[in-house]
Amino acid sequence: MFFCVQVYKDPSKGELPLLPEEHVQDSAKDVTYICPFIGPVRGSLSVTNYRLFFRCTDREPVFGLDLPLGVLSRVEKIGAATSRGDVSYGLACKDMRNLRFVHKEPEDSLKKSVFEVLMKFAFPVSNNMSLFAFEYKQVFPENGWKVYDPLAEYKRQGLPNESWRISKVNDHYELCDSYPAALVVPVTITDEELRRVSSFRAKGRIPVLSWIHPESQAAVVRASQPMVGQNGRRCKEDEKLLQAIMDANAQSHKMFIFDARPSVNAAANKMKGGGYESEDAYQNAELVFLDIHNIHVMRESLRKLKEVVYPNIEDSHWLSNLESTHWLEHIKLILAGALRIADKVESGKTSVVVHCSDGWDRTPQLTSLALIMLDSHYRTIRGFQILLEKEWLSFGHRFQQRVGHGDKNHTDADRSPIFLQFIDCVWQMTRQFPAAFEFNEYFLITILDHLYSCLFGTFLCNSEQQRLKEEVPKHTVSLWSFVNSQLEEFVNPLYVGYPSHVLFPTVGIRHLQLWVTYYIRWNPRMRPQEPVHQRYKELLAKRAELQKRVEELQREAANRTASSSSERAGSPTRSITPVQTFV
Amino acid sequence: VCVKKRKKQKFRTFSMHVLTLYMVKVYVSSSEIVVNEANFVRKCIGAESCQDDLWGKLVCTNFKVSFIAHNSLPRQCTHRLLGEHDIPLACVEQVVTVNDVKGKQKILGSNQKLKFNPTELILYCKDFRIIRFRFDEAGPESAKKVCLAIAHYSHPADPQLLFGFEYVGKRYHGSTASHSNMVNGVDPGGGLQTPLFDCSSDWDREIKRTGASEWRVCTINQGYFISPSLPEFFVVPVSLADQDLKQYACCFYSQRIPLWCWNHSSGSALVRMSNISDPQQQRKVEQRISSAITKSHPLRSDVFKSDLDKNLPNIQDIQAALLKLRQICVIDSFEESEEKWLSSLESSRWMEYVRTFLRHAVEVVYMLESRHVSVILLEKEDRDLSCVISCLVQLMCDPHCRSLHSFQGLIQKEWVMAGHRFLDRCNHLKRNDKEESPVFLLFLDCVWQLWNQYPAAFEFTEVYLTVLGDSMWVPVFSTFLFNCPRQRAEHSRDFASSKSIHLGQDQALCFPPVWDWSQQFSLKDQTLFNNPLYVGKIATCVQNGTVKTFTHRRSKVSC
Repeated sequence: MFFCVQVYKDPSKGELPLLPEEHVQDSAKDVTYICPFIGPVRGSLSVTNYRLFFRCTDREPVFGLDLPLGVLSRVEKIGAATSRGDVSYGLACKDMRNLRFVHKEPEDSLKKSVFEVLMKFAFPVSNNMSLFAFEYKQVFPENGWKVYDPLAEYKRQGLPNESWRISKVNDHYELCDSYPAALVVPVTITDEELRRVSSFRAKGRIPVLSWIHPESQAAVVRASQPMVGQNGRRCKEDEKLLQAIMDANAQSHKMFIFDARPSVNAAANKMKGGGYESEDAYQNAELVFLDIHNIHVMRESLRKLKEVVYPNIEDSHWLSNLESTHWLEHIKLILAGALRIADKVESGKTSVVVHCSDGWDRTPQLTSLALIMLDSHYRTIRGFQILLEKEWLSFGHRFQQRVGHGDKNHTDADRSPIFLQFIDCVWQMTRQFPAAFEFNEYFLITILDHLYSCLFGTFLCNSEQQRLKEEVPKHTVSLWSFVNSQLEEFVNPLYVGYPSHVLFPTVGIRHLQLWVTYYIRWNPRMRPQEPVHQRYKELLAKRAELQKRVEELQREAANRTASSSSERAGSPTRSITPVQTFV
Repeated sequence: VCVKKRKKQKFRTFSMHVLTLYMVKVYVSSSEIVVNEANFVRKCIGAESCQDDLWGKLVCTNFKVSFIAHNSLPRQCTHRLLGEHDIPLACVEQVVTVNDVKGKQKILGSNQKLKFNPTELILYCKDFRIIRFRFDEAGPESAKKVCLAIAHYSHPADPQLLFGFEYVGKRYHGSTASHSNMVNGVDPGGGLQTPLFDCSSDWDREIKRTGASEWRVCTINQGYFISPSLPEFFVVPVSLADQDLKQYACCFYSQRIPLWCWNHSSGSALVRMSNISDPQQQRKVEQRISSAITKSHPLRSDVFKSDLDKNLPNIQDIQAALLKLRQICVIDSFEESEEKWLSSLESSRWMEYVRTFLRHAVEVVYMLESRHVSVILLEKEDRDLSCVISCLVQLMCDPHCRSLHSFQGLIQKEWVMAGHRFLDRCNHLKRNDKEESPVFLLFLDCVWQLWNQYPAAFEFTEVYLTVLGDSMWVPVFSTFLFNCPRQRAEHSRDFASSKSIHLGQDQALCFPPVWDWSQQFSLKDQTLFNNPLYVGKIATCVQNGTVKTFTHRRSKVSC
């Protein structure tokens, strides 16, 4: 079965499933899908304003393709029509597959081919139309837009406190248009000083707090690069701000600045006015480079990976081919960087500042992974949603640019799989700590599928300011509405929490794996041969049943104790040890 | 799962009375004897610095190399036979002594002399551990003696010097001669639900279970009079009379009459067969056997011969791959090999071999399942590659085999009873390196691959497979000590008579099989063998192969 992960569908029926406000735009019979795994398949193709739906009825089992148009990065005619009037179309997808169709050109040259309709609806932004997310009007029991409330999240962390305040200086996004409205900064720094700092940091992205350690008060602070330039410019407010961050943590008289870039790249940025903190200007701060490459290197690595895994895998050189993509090496460097940050905060009780160039790609990768290691709250389903909303969405990871929603310009150099890499790193951690995460693998895959689908508003636009301007929360549905309305699909039955534990994953290449169930899921030979998803649900039901039974027995025991003690007043009351079951 | 780094414990100086306080002796039973020991030995923990190193006493017994740390409280140890720092002698692959002042190094065997005083002892272990001890503060003579003792006792001259014999023999002494003399309160038979296939009833049940009505249990090898390497009971086609079998036996390598392994629900049989040594008889005997197998098939289908020697790597190839794998896993420096990890893994060819075996098993499954023909697995001696393939085929086709006890029964049937040379392949006597080969480990890796592809199809876990692999190096179990059932019977008889052990009703010494897990682990720890995702025996055929690394095992690197 080739149905991709879908919102509402019953593949056995094979009928075109339509979402609210979804309309068929065109359909054609006698389209051939050139499947790289089972050969050519003839069937009918429909295009709606949301999806491409292909179905072949004359074979068992029924074969179908059902994909949101959002996953398409390129649709193109390949070569000229054959003598019989057949035309080939190639569809490149953002989710690691390419599709190829053959279709007879309509004889009436005025009539548009179904693929021309497809091109129009696949790239609505390029065609001055709106994304389907703005039309989709499904109502869910929960409103996912309410998942993240910045002030509530900061309150959970114990903020504001005597050292940190919540500043309103960016209330109207005047200080920094890619930052959120609520910023946590040291109490000793005035808003005026923050404004001066903003002119010294790239894109105005000043150092602000992401997370604070509940015991040691060591903080994780994020920023963009300082605009040092070739002349080694300094900014005394910036220096004061970093000193204040260090002073806010009484446990340590030192701090670490993690520059995510390779040192060579960081130095090269001086030519363009950027750079990194000099040791003269920032005393007591130690600068560490994490050697993570830029968005272009990552895009190229994923392109190579796609070549290696799709459509066919060369078995005899699988491992060396995988190695030559360097994908796992990049994953390793990101995880290793996050690990160093978490270790400094947890074991060293030191505050850290993390930045790259603009502070919206490598920086959220590092801070959010470090936060997952440090704070078990972010390993729950809702906590993870909050983490994404906060570190990625509110702090302006440029989702629109990096993914290119509805934009036909597939060669855009701003596209890069930064967020995918982050989710891959999370997956690697779930492998190493199978009981520490409340969510399962399907949750991560669902997030990635809807990163591209444009069905929900969550990953649209580049910043909080843009989302407010476009009134995204008002006009679209949040992915979390969908997820939180059917949580049972996403719960890991092996979850036991470890509430106060810090996770330190092992980051050697030996401990990393290729995420086969994501990257190679279209290859039927590589698919999990027996999905455990159903089994997970059974286990959850079993656990719920046993927990209920424990509660019943406890109640019964309590009643018995109560009645026996009332009968024989004065007899010592037995204490009941609460039983905890983990199935 | 290692959550939260343990705080690094700084080494504290210790005084003599503290030393004696922590002298905790944990010995398996009265059968274990201390051979030699050295004090003030340092066990190296970290590769770069010595700040985590432990000080203590290095002890060599007739069972293990033990290290009793002075200043760390004994950690609660979960293994019943081995402590945290213990290495069974059978697990020691190579004993290397070093004197770094003189720049000398020597690999020690048994009964050897050492001309220098060692400053360091390095033990290379079969389970991929590399363990280092420093003798900087120890007396030079006692250091030398303990090294020589370890080298000597890890090279037993005779199988009966393997610790298992002492271990089992001691049970028959003591208060009563009966079985009431239990070890750790455990019945040596283990109260086992695992069929051992050492009696005809186990085979009868297997015939009945698989519906192999045209097959029967043959008893002509009772007392091992026909073939030295076959079990006393095995299964043959009903159309072959004992008289015929006796006649054919001499044509086969080591008189190994072809063995029935299992029947597919379609009636196709899986049979294993050694080469026919007499070329003149070859065609005739082959034909007779094939036609008998055909007669036992409900559809009278043909027989397909699968030549394993031709299609699979041989035991030396497998051994070479493991050595390379070990090289890149634990011997090469981690930092240097990190970038090339995947391609060096590929070049070890271990994964390729795992894949070859899985793929071959899939082909056999296809013949049995889709082509409805019986399959003969053909291997020269029928004691190595056939064991792997026949087990994999049954695991793939028969959900019954994927429960814990049936899996154990399967190993009992296709490895222990069929005469896989565990003694030689494990090289317990360290006599002939050419015969050493990790065929069983390769099989466990194949199972692990299947387990990964079908996480809900097996009752057991990765922990179980790892522990089973490690148990090969704990030389007290009947499972891994012998080359064939006859060898076990002979050695245990000899041992009993030489030690004047009264066997009572037993015919031979009752070694515990590894399946008696209570010998090694508490019932609570044994729960880690149970896979929570297991769905029971409803899952159908598992086959097709994608290969991953056996990470759990590999991650156990040198300490």
